[in-house]
Amino acid sequence: MALLRFDNVTKSYPGTPPALSEVSFAVEEGEMLFVTGHSGAGKSTLLRLVHLSERPSRGTVLVNERNLAKVRGRKVPLHRRQVGVVFQDHRLLTDRSIYDNVALPLLIAGTPGAEVGKRVRTVLDKVGLGGRERSLPMQLSTGEQQRVGIARAIVAQPQLLVADEPTGNLDPQLAAEIMQLLASLPALGTTVMIASHDLALVKRMRRRVLVLDHGKLVDDISPEDLAA
Amino acid sequence: MSKSEARAKPAAAERVRAGGLGSRLRAWREQHLYSLVSSLGRLLQRPVATALTVGVMAVAIALPLGLALALGNLERFSGSVSESREIGVFLAPGVDAARADALAGELRQRPDVAGVAVRSPDEGLAEFKAMSDLAGALDVLEGNPLPFVLVVQPAGSDDGSALAASLRGLPEAEVVQHDAVWRQRLSAWLAFGERVVQVVGLLLGLGVLLVVGNTVRLDIGARSEEIAVLQHLGATDGFVRRPFLYLGAWYGLAAGLAALALLVVAGLALQGRLTALVASYGAQFALAGPGWQGTGLLLAGAAAMGWLGAWLATGHHLRRTRPTDV
Repeated sequence: MALLRFDNVTKSYPGTPPALSEVSFAVEEGEMLFVTGHSGAGKSTLLRLVHLSERPSRGTVLVNERNLAKVRGRKVPLHRRQVGVVFQDHRLLTDRSIYDNVALPLLIAGTPGAEVGKRVRTVLDKVGLGGRERSLPMQLSTGEQQRVGIARAIVAQPQLLVADEPTGNLDPQLAAEIMQLLASLPALGTTVMIASHDLALVKRMRRRVLVLDHGKLVDDISPEDLAA
Repeated sequence: MSKSEARAKPAAAERVRAGGLGSRLRAWREQHLYSLVSSLGRLLQRPVATALTVGVMAVAIALPLGLALALGNLERFSGSVSESREIGVFLAPGVDAARADALAGELRQRPDVAGVAVRSPDEGLAEFKAMSDLAGALDVLEGNPLPFVLVVQPAGSDDGSALAASLRGLPEAEVVQHDAVWRQRLSAWLAFGERVVQVVGLLLGLGVLLVVGNTVRLDIGARSEEIAVLQHLGATDGFVRRPFLYLGAWYGLAAGLAALALLVVAGLALQGRLTALVASYGAQFALAGPGWQGTGLLLAGAAAMGWLGAWLATGHHLRRTRPTDV
């Protein structure tokens, strides 16, 4: 059973060509894949549909066989808690400590305080920021801030993690480190979907790649084909 | 995709679960406590802005409350005036002390009379001198021009108009003073004053709501990025709204306390003059405050208004920033 499936999904906005057009694909649980394409190809729109920040104009998006079109109003936050999200610009709350930033998804989910502390420290250790709990985001480097963003996205152990250009602001070495961190998540049972326009980086990761062009899915490259 | 990765999902079983009812309640309580304290912290971080907002709200609360208290005090005072219901019978100049006493005795026998006091011309003159600044002028008079006065207290619960009419028929009576009409007019004014307090209270209460709503709206604007992040992370409207509701309640509570302080200061400023004024009418009167129950109600009401204003402001923002709620 696919964790995520797009069936003939089209997303259009008034007065512009469709951002996505008749896109179909499926993602298995525990998979890691990239969505790539030039700027404006529809990568971010695709991720926004998964995260329910947008709804498709046509077609269906299924997560765990659940049609997201039927997720309405008060149920949207519950869906979002199952989808971790990593932003290019981190979107950390600058007036709160690293601990408080990472703890947010757990507080939102109503996790008891003692459990919150345990999970936050565990995940900060995992992203290499153990002992920095009390620091403010501005006291960290850009790469470290992105690590905090990833820690926040995975602390509630979501089924699916979507990352929109997570290495867009990083130098090549930091970008590779972040990618390695993200690549370790499927082993923990989290499906990872990354939008990136950095083809060289994507090729090095040797994972499945969906290629978008002007909103159309023009290629679905397996890791084996990528290696060839 | 790596097949081994697809098969390996040890964390799936460990995903965050809400837990039992007890732990959920505990988490809910912790969240409320956090919002309560953090919203107070936000107020204290901006003391000047907070003081200005609270000041405006306090004045808006203090005005109708002050009016209501003033009206209450006036009612209390006029109540004692109304309850006296005395009728003054000024006897003709030729009536002497013996006849005045005899007439008082006759009146005391009537069933519609509760009591009669005789006030001699000398007593009247002394009282007049004490109540006015004309003591010096009165001293130059050759004689006492004042007559004997009978102060008649009506029996029963009516206003004494019938008794006053009857007393006007006495051959010894020159003037009968009875202020029923004045008291009726006073009652009408007090009823009108109550309505004014209600209307002003309603308008200024609306003003308090708007002040809180606008202040919280500005705070929401300053924290719109944070709200967007919370919504992306799966926060419900209630979770986003909670700290702002507590913020509104803190504003209301602080404004209620400040309004009480304003009224205390106003009361202290007025008490001395009022005491002198009332004393000039030969009476004693002390201003009454809202009391413990009234204070509690005021603070609870002010906090509730702050809460409501914040609820309206956050509701408006959440409706605008809910892209998928179609």
